[in-house]
Amino acid sequence: LKLPRGIQILERGWLSSNNIVLLAKGATVVDSGYGAHAQQTVALVEHALQGRPLERLVNTHCHSDHMGGNAALQRHFRCRTSIPAGEAPLIDRWDERELILSAADQRAERFSYDDTFGDGDALAMGDYEWRVIAAPGHDTHAVMFYSQQARVLISGDALWENGFGAVFAQLFGRESALAETRSTLERIAALDCDIVIPGHGRPFGDVGAALERAFSRLKGYEEDITRLARHVVKVLFTFAMLEKRSMPLAAVPAYLERVAILAEINRGYLKMAPAAFSDWLIADLERAGALERRGSAVVARS
Amino acid sequence: MSPDTGLCEGCQRTLEEIAAWSAMSAEEKCAVLAQLQKRGARP
Repeated sequence: LKLPRGIQILERGWLSSNNIVLLAKGATVVDSGYGAHAQQTVALVEHALQGRPLERLVNTHCHSDHMGGNAALQRHFRCRTSIPAGEAPLIDRWDERELILSAADQRAERFSYDDTFGDGDALAMGDYEWRVIAAPGHDTHAVMFYSQQARVLISGDALWENGFGAVFAQLFGRESALAETRSTLERIAALDCDIVIPGHGRPFGDVGAALERAFSRLKGYEEDITRLARHVVKVLFTFAMLEKRSMPLAAVPAYLERVAILAEINRGYLKMAPAAFSDWLIADLERAGALERRGSAVVARS
Repeated sequence: MSPDTGLCEGCQRTLEEIAAWSAMSAEEKCAVLAQLQKRGARP
């Protein structure tokens, strides 16, 4: 798979989203990774720029793994920062709950932005023209960037090679979130593109197969909402473990009670006793290869 | 990145290897992974 000239992807593990560097005289970076990696992100972006200035930083959406390096990049490069218009009020009041920060045991350094963009806007990034496409679902305010010229879609967490970002909002009162996810996938299906650059994982060319997998997963959630509830718990706990690396097994039940979003999903959908909730989660993530027991602790495997 | 070794403290790759990772072929990725064993990365 060969990317068009001037597009470089900085791909690390799943804790940090991909950073997409669009090179031109004044370069643009899409998404900044997780806060714990911020210094490495600055070094990687500097390496990719080869002495060019970073003119602009943009975000596909404002979750911690996509905007956690914003403040550090701003300090280092003095770049202009643009975010999706729908995220602006959440960033203005730094809504820890809506941004899925402390409520999910995630962290990000607070940052400010210079301007916003929305569905249908045109952005010049790197050597290409891009159109902003609203992508509600995983994040109600998320966007994607599509370049007809480069035949590339930067999809954020709206579509990965294997699935899409968990649709949190459906579990917390936004009853249209799964339907919005479906519309977003349908919008992707209508685009003419050769390569999708996702927010996590490698770029891919077989968009049809990825969409088929995504629609099939979505159908599963539509048929049984507790599937989505279990998925969200697994995603958030795995993410936390990628940062922590290790946790005493005995501490897991209390952790699941203490982290607001996890506790609320259990109360609202899964209704398991704390010990049973913990046992199910650890066994399932062990089976999936995400975690393993080592002595009296549970440790991240990747 | 470790200031002593210049390697990522998580994956033991160099900055250049991380930057180039996404554009590497499967063979090139395997070659880097084989190097990591020697650097003492987690298996």
